[in-house]
Amino acid sequence: MAEPIIMPRQGQSVESCILTEWKVNVGDQVAEGDILAVIETDKASFDLESTTSGSVLALFWEPDDDVPVLANVAVVGNEGDNFEEFRPDSDSSASEPTPTADASNTAPVPQTEAQQSTPVAASSVPVSVSSGGISAGVSPRARKLAFRHGIDPETLEGSGPNGRVIERDVEAVASGRPRLSASAVTQARNGMEPPLRGKGLAGMALSSDMKEPGAIEGAKVEPVKGIRKLVAERMIQSLQTSAQLTLNAHFELTAVLAYRKARVEAGKSKISINDLIAYAQIQALGAHPEMNAHFLGNRFAVFEKVHLGIAVDSPRGLMVPVVKDASDLSLEALSAEIKKLAIACRDGTIQPDDLSGGSCTLTNLGMLGVSTFTPVLNIPEVAILGVGGIELKPKRLESGEIEYADFLPLSLTIDHQAVDGAPAALFLQTLISQLEENPGQPLTTSNE
Amino acid sequence: MKYDFAVIGAGPAGYIAAKKAASAGKKVLLVEKKKLGGVCLNEGCVPSKTLLQAAKTYRHAKHGSIFGVEVEGVSFDFPKAHQHKNNVMNKMRDGIAGLMKKYKVEVVEGEAKLLPNSQIEIDGEIHEATDILLCTGSSPAIPPIPGVDLEHVVDSTGILNRESLPDHLVVVGGGVIGCEFACMYASVGVKVTVLEAMSEICPNLDPEVSESLREGLTKKGVTFTLGAKVESISPDKVTYADESGSKEIESDLVLVATGRRPNTNDLGLEELGLDIEPRGGVRVDTRGATNIPGLWAAGDVTGRAWLAHAASRMAEVVVNNITGRKDHMRYDTMPAVVYTSPEVAVVGLTKEEAEERGIKVKVGRIPMAINARYIAENPDETGFCKVVLEADSRKLLGVHMVGGACSEMIFGATAMLETELREEEIEEIVFPHPTTSEIIKDVFMAVR
Repeated sequence: MAEPIIMPRQGQSVESCILTEWKVNVGDQVAEGDILAVIETDKASFDLESTTSGSVLALFWEPDDDVPVLANVAVVGNEGDNFEEFRPDSDSSASEPTPTADASNTAPVPQTEAQQSTPVAASSVPVSVSSGGISAGVSPRARKLAFRHGIDPETLEGSGPNGRVIERDVEAVASGRPRLSASAVTQARNGMEPPLRGKGLAGMALSSDMKEPGAIEGAKVEPVKGIRKLVAERMIQSLQTSAQLTLNAHFELTAVLAYRKARVEAGKSKISINDLIAYAQIQALGAHPEMNAHFLGNRFAVFEKVHLGIAVDSPRGLMVPVVKDASDLSLEALSAEIKKLAIACRDGTIQPDDLSGGSCTLTNLGMLGVSTFTPVLNIPEVAILGVGGIELKPKRLESGEIEYADFLPLSLTIDHQAVDGAPAALFLQTLISQLEENPGQPLTTSNE
Repeated sequence: MKYDFAVIGAGPAGYIAAKKAASAGKKVLLVEKKKLGGVCLNEGCVPSKTLLQAAKTYRHAKHGSIFGVEVEGVSFDFPKAHQHKNNVMNKMRDGIAGLMKKYKVEVVEGEAKLLPNSQIEIDGEIHEATDILLCTGSSPAIPPIPGVDLEHVVDSTGILNRESLPDHLVVVGGGVIGCEFACMYASVGVKVTVLEAMSEICPNLDPEVSESLREGLTKKGVTFTLGAKVESISPDKVTYADESGSKEIESDLVLVATGRRPNTNDLGLEELGLDIEPRGGVRVDTRGATNIPGLWAAGDVTGRAWLAHAASRMAEVVVNNITGRKDHMRYDTMPAVVYTSPEVAVVGLTKEEAEERGIKVKVGRIPMAINARYIAENPDETGFCKVVLEADSRKLLGVHMVGGACSEMIFGATAMLETELREEEIEEIVFPHPTTSEIIKDVFMAVR
């Protein structure tokens, strides 16, 4: 038969005890005299012993709850016994009981949704329920300790019954906190925190010592949120879950420059070097579809079309809008689309749909003076192409003479889980030969 | 001999440090080349205050009629006043000697020279110490004025040994030392002229304080000539130039009080590579540590504060750091006093200093004459109390007083600053009535 375990009265003046820690879980077998929990009055801590033997059927309170004396704290009995009749009356005190009975426990009384949700909602940390701002005082033990540490116990936030200041509140303050000056106390009430040792009298914390929580000396600390948080999560996830390998190569820019010049002379729209690289990347991905893929651990998704992500530096941080169906677009249409998406990112008008669904990514730091860099994969994509800054390099002509030409460095990062170095190199070859021989033209050459 | 702690100089930094370190169980050596007590006890604070009290007593006797006290045939016996001064000094020196004996500090008379590897040479003998405190004090800085080495030209040390009163004392330099001697001599009927090169005396004080002090001393018979640059001194004249040109005044005693300079010569400091500031002080951090590990400095030799009590505090800070207790200097709460009649006592920031730091302030000022005790006891003196508060928090930033014996109550303001009290806390402090100290409470009425 199920029997309730009650909070024992620890003395005439004790109205309630703090349940510090459960020593058992629902379902555990206990014998009479076994320790169920550690409880604490403002004077000392005690073990709460089981007064019967059997299976733990329910634990009605959470650690740190303030439990009125003689209230039921747990039920011990036979598996399957009904314990609901022992559940503490929810309006018997300011402290609401919290049902912690294991959901898997075969509760014989079916609860309606309303029944289930009400006590949970009402269980918001009972100790924070204050009795109309009237101080619940300071326990004598706490007062004695506070005096020893030179702490004013009246200024402490009590964690005892109705906010009563108990010994552990003083201990917490004494162990990790200096005395506060009058001005610093005001700041502490406003949420500022003192250092372990202040710069005032005998380490007293002065108002100039008080810092926002988590502050770092000599630094302005701000929470990581929004895009920064997203980028941070994505980047670390990328580096932790993929086998990144970067291949570096250069391509000669002469043909690209000539193509752009010819376009201008022919009165056609302006196309950037980046547009031409993007166009060539899309073409090369068509010839090497294994690079236009997502690696999903036990699956491998090779895309029919290229959805090209373009890394854009926006005022809110790194964004990667995606040109959908980029392999269907003409060079002019691709150029216009890239421009449109980049502007939308910088203006903050980019739609969430435009920031997902990429199959491969292009990132270019050349215009920022970077010579070459290691792109980080936009996982689960298996490849990302990085573009560095123009370099003047010598090249040997067929005649054997040396001539200078402009080159652009490319750095291709692949997920070695999905792609090997050689196919990635072949992809780079296709890309480079297209840029060096037929920029802006349909892919005709094959490297096979 | 090997010591834990060697102290060079037995002034208010040295003997305090020696006593404190010895009481913490350190084996301490104290080296002094002249007399125990340093400048403070032998050539500064103590003898000058004794003579100032003699002068004050004379003045009170002479001007007692307002209280109904009529005294005939009042005279001033200067040699007798000197005798009292010497008695006080001897008594204090014996006190220090007794203190050193009690704490088993090894006192050695001689000139110390610092050697590498924590060694000290005293008159040919080598000693060693784990930590060394350099507190060799300061000496009067004598400007290169023609005639400055004449027999009737003295510095603040020399004037203390003059046992005859001159007809006309000319004080070169209207700083704290100059003002105190001017007050003392004027009080006993000597004609005194102070020549100050700047546009106001005591330029480091709150400008209103300086002005009020000058007016108070003028009432005592001191003549101030501001903007006066002394050009030369002859046996009976001082020549100076101000805006309207070159002038001469007759003088049979000239006090040169144009500041002090740290004593850093002949100590082997340069050979040791000790970091010395361009203005001559040993560079220390807020703990008193120099650039040489194990070598510390305190007091005037650091070129900071120039106050005996600041020197003692610096010494305490050093010893605390050596004995494992974190401590550091807080110059913003260092009180300063000018022992004239009226006295000046200040602590904390002036309005100008606070504003320079970008702090928004509120200022309150009331005349001492609203205080019953003050006008009862000082019917012929003016003076005021001024407070500087942080505008938003109403935190006390500075207290500046002129009048009566305000040196005796400035510590209260210092305690308020050290604990960062605000107006609302100060309002709850009870000041005994009737006392002059009530001015510190009443001044808040005038804050706007």
